[in-house]
Amino acid sequence: MQKFGKKAEPHIFMTPAYIMMLVFMGYPLVNTIRMAFLNYKVSRPDDISFAGFGNFEKIFADANIGMITKHSIIFVAVTLFFQFTLGFILALALKKPFKGRGIYQAIVFCPWAFSGTVVGLVFKWMFNGEYGLLNSVLMDLGLIERKISFLGTPGLSLVSVIVALVWQGIPFFGIMILAALQSVPEELIEAAKIDGAGSLKRFLNVTVPYIKPTLVVTVLLRTIWIFNNADLIYTMTAGGPANTSHNLSSYMFTKAYATLDYGFASALGVLFMLGLTIYILWFFKITKYNQAGDNA
Amino acid sequence: MRKKQKLLAVGRFVILAIFLLIIVVPIYWMFVTSLKTQTEIISLDVKYWPEHLTFGNYKALFAGGQFMLYVKNSLIVATSTAAIVTIITIMGGYALSRYQYKGKKLTILGFLVTQMIPGTMILIPTYIILSSLDLTDTLLGLIIYYVAGNIPFCVITMQGFFLNIPVVIEEAARIDGCNRTQTLLKVVLPIMLPGIIAVFIFAFIGGWNDLLGGIMFLTSEERRTIPVGINLFVQKYSIQWGEMTAAAFLALIPSCLLFAVAQKYLVDGMTSGAVKG
Repeated sequence: MQKFGKKAEPHIFMTPAYIMMLVFMGYPLVNTIRMAFLNYKVSRPDDISFAGFGNFEKIFADANIGMITKHSIIFVAVTLFFQFTLGFILALALKKPFKGRGIYQAIVFCPWAFSGTVVGLVFKWMFNGEYGLLNSVLMDLGLIERKISFLGTPGLSLVSVIVALVWQGIPFFGIMILAALQSVPEELIEAAKIDGAGSLKRFLNVTVPYIKPTLVVTVLLRTIWIFNNADLIYTMTAGGPANTSHNLSSYMFTKAYATLDYGFASALGVLFMLGLTIYILWFFKITKYNQAGDNA
Repeated sequence: MRKKQKLLAVGRFVILAIFLLIIVVPIYWMFVTSLKTQTEIISLDVKYWPEHLTFGNYKALFAGGQFMLYVKNSLIVATSTAAIVTIITIMGGYALSRYQYKGKKLTILGFLVTQMIPGTMILIPTYIILSSLDLTDTLLGLIIYYVAGNIPFCVITMQGFFLNIPVVIEEAARIDGCNRTQTLLKVVLPIMLPGIIAVFIFAFIGGWNDLLGGIMFLTSEERRTIPVGINLFVQKYSIQWGEMTAAAFLALIPSCLLFAVAQKYLVDGMTSGAVKG
């Protein structure tokens, strides 16, 4: 009995987490897959029937899906590139201590705590076609002659959303990479210095390999988060004009919320997860993630 | 060499100044707009500082009474979420860091996998579960949804904090006659307090900021949270930018202050959780 008690202990501690995960993550996941094969509209609860691949066929017949998928990929790639690069530069600039660094960090890292709603709203306002700050500044600088409707022009609205999301995401990379940089042992860098390595060489051959695990994990997590981002787009453009600034996630939400066609939205979700899984496996492969921890 | 170093220092200063500008401008613009009159806000000649400084937008915001209701709802939801998540993840983090057992790796993998599930996808089935429990359009339903969403990340972070504490300390307490629970409550948790606060704040911000759950699950006006309220401002035909930026600015204050407190510890927990876990 004593032995059983010991064995059960960790599971007793885990029970609340297990229950929450199974009921509110596991079951929804399974249910989504099930619903993807059903005709399921919330507005008609008595009319649920097996749809086979009908929902998937509807997706491929949807005139917007091709464009939105393409835009999603552009959206993720461009956003991630700028978030990562700018975050990395910021972290490097912050590595050496200076007077007031604490306050500086508190301000510059703050957008991490901002909601997508607020960020979407502020940028919607700044990019406003008539009263917006950006238009006014560009006019004052003489760069444009006539005010531009950033959010009302296809293409430009997607760029605007990306700018907002990059702004919101720089702090995450800044914080994480800075923490990683500070964990690189000084001796390692000193040793490389003695061996005659220049600063660029030291950075590429000592620092980067050392912090690689952090880089891999943060990039992966961030990719998923950007892919899944819907609230900022929903607030800022609601996908407009003509669905051109939607990503798959915000499109799925709009579909589920506006048309209440859960079968369709679930099928989209299933494809979405399949795509993410393939991406993750590919990502682990190219970054050789299993060996990434060796240097740490 | 001297010259090169000086140049580097100047370059660094310029870079830091540019970043500060990039981050501050949108926040500044939101704040300045909230201090302008409606006529000035919708004037084609944009002023970078209000000509007639006014707190009218803030007054209007509070006069309606609705905003205070949103604040109250958001406070209830975010605080309850944070408290429940903290308790559940202390237990979970303890189990994951202090026991070796079958299925542990699988559990951690499971937590990581949930991070890959699109949140928008989970909303629909969660709505169905909540409605079968009669919990749609209640704050409790929203809290449950946020707790579930925050557990995976927080439990892994919490595990990282536990791993930072040498087991020796616990063993010493055990020798001194504390049982497992006493050791946890009286020795381990006090040392971990910064980490616990960080997780609490992280979950709080999560609940404070979320929009889509609120839109999906809540229908009554008196239950709206702040992001839902702010978003409704946006969807209106004629947008009251002044009141809206005032609301957005106020909504930022708690999360920014809390974040400034938690920032350092959160990174500690995340990095050690990722490396050692």
